[in-house]
Amino acid sequence: MAYDDLRSFLDTLDKEGQLLRITDEVLPEPDLAAAANATGRIGENAPALHFDNVKGFTDARIAMNVHGSWANHALALGLPKNTPVKEQVEEFARRWDAFPVAPERREDAPWRENTQEGENVDLFSVLPLFRLNDGDGGFYLDKAAVVSRDPEDPDDFGKQNVGTYRIQVIGTNRLAFQPVPMHDVAQHLRKAEEKGEDLPIAITLGNDPVMAIVAGMPMAYDQSEYEMAGALRGAPAPIATAPLTGFDVPWGSEVVIEGVIESRKRQIEGPFGEFTGHYSGGRRMPVIRVDRVSYRTNPVFESLYLGMPWTECDYLVGPNTCVPLLKQLRAEFPEVQAVNAMYTHGLMVIISTAKRYGGFAKAVGMRAMTTPHGLGYVAQVILVDEDVDPFNLPQVMWAMSAKVNPKDDVVVIPNLSVLELAPAAQPAGISSKMIIDATTPVAPDVRGNFSTPAKDLPETAEWAARLQRLIAARG
Amino acid sequence: MNHLPVECPRCAFEEISLLATSPVPGVWDVVQCGRCLYTWRTIEPARRTRRDAYPDSFKLTAQDIENAIEVPAVPPLLK
Ligand SMILES: [Zn+2]
Repeated sequence: MAYDDLRSFLDTLDKEGQLLRITDEVLPEPDLAAAANATGRIGENAPALHFDNVKGFTDARIAMNVHGSWANHALALGLPKNTPVKEQVEEFARRWDAFPVAPERREDAPWRENTQEGENVDLFSVLPLFRLNDGDGGFYLDKAAVVSRDPEDPDDFGKQNVGTYRIQVIGTNRLAFQPVPMHDVAQHLRKAEEKGEDLPIAITLGNDPVMAIVAGMPMAYDQSEYEMAGALRGAPAPIATAPLTGFDVPWGSEVVIEGVIESRKRQIEGPFGEFTGHYSGGRRMPVIRVDRVSYRTNPVFESLYLGMPWTECDYLVGPNTCVPLLKQLRAEFPEVQAVNAMYTHGLMVIISTAKRYGGFAKAVGMRAMTTPHGLGYVAQVILVDEDVDPFNLPQVMWAMSAKVNPKDDVVVIPNLSVLELAPAAQPAGISSKMIIDATTPVAPDVRGNFSTPAKDLPETAEWAARLQRLIAARG
Repeated sequence: MNHLPVECPRCAFEEISLLATSPVPGVWDVVQCGRCLYTWRTIEPARRTRRDAYPDSFKLTAQDIENAIEVPAVPPLLK
């Protein structure tokens, strides 16, 4: 089941009991953010929220927490809503193998219904903007899919990037924009600014649920997010041509904002309560001049709350961060069984692996740190044996407590790269990194007394499946 | 609303401009500081809208703004 736009996915969430419509009047602040914040505190199958009665607005429609639970993440991928997390990640990895799936171009994009141009652009008249956290510098677009092209190779479809970045609204037609240096749009901007040129950009809001997942996914520079969306959807991703930039944008977006990042200009931005659970900014950031806005009639404004984890952002980028690391590690080390990179975008990663020989697990940990994503994240790696489920934290804690001899199994490497938002980095962008080897030593690494483990009974797996069937049948 | 706030809760700058007014007339305005670009809705809680209630940890000085680092740095022009 592939969704072509946000609205059809909201309908499914509604039918599955995973959308809560809040029709009582609420305040734009602090109610919208506080309600979305609360979804992260009421259990892991929280619903999406839909607001349509916000004080002072007449036609505001706001969707939040759309991906903010394991049930919603499963439904976004067309899976049953009770699919366990480890299975969601495995299915994601399986569908990845269909990449690339060519997109399907359509001409009748619903966002062509309404247009504002040039002097008439007023983002506040299109979007019911609001603040998330107390200390935020302003109102943010934080769940957009931002499209840009490589100025040196504008016709390369694969190098066209679709990514999610934080965007502060700093005027009726002006935005401040954060391109993290590790991310693709920062490379596009550097190439444009070296030539003194503006960088055209398209910002799409309110996208289909898989578009939001691939826009937040750490993919290779020349891999197309649209071709990955096709693989994950199991159907070509519908795209359309943006009228001003000519960029490829999602067909089903609620709003398409086009303009340029003004060359060689920086202006104060932030602070913003980030996914790290800490504020970051204010820094002098690039600025965008908006030249055109296209939007569906009565657009749904989709936003997400982020701050102290877990929030929607963690559900949204957790699985899609696990899979590239899993794929890249397995490419050279097929012994790798599963990767849990769901904590703070993978600043901490848990990997289960079989061992080729003594010392092997530590090598897997070092490789995780040198993957493209690892260079900016992966500050701590925990290695566990092949029969430990890295998504099962009690099992991981057992491995840590029983298998780790700190003197030999904890390795700290100084002064490696990490993204500047990492609160523990010192200076910003530089961190030591740690490997904790919680695997059982194998020859020639002959340490400890691990020869008599107590294993699950041979009949246990069969009984687990039987119990699950009985529970499901009970309803 | 009848008149704009007189100072920025965050940096105390006294040039405040109007960005938006509520679609339902007279309910709120969205205003912005001309120096630190702090943006707020006039009906937000005092901790976000009034200088005397604004948390010290979020306050900015003119120096903070001037000395903020560039991210990413502007690269040298290619000749
Ligand atoms: Zn100010």
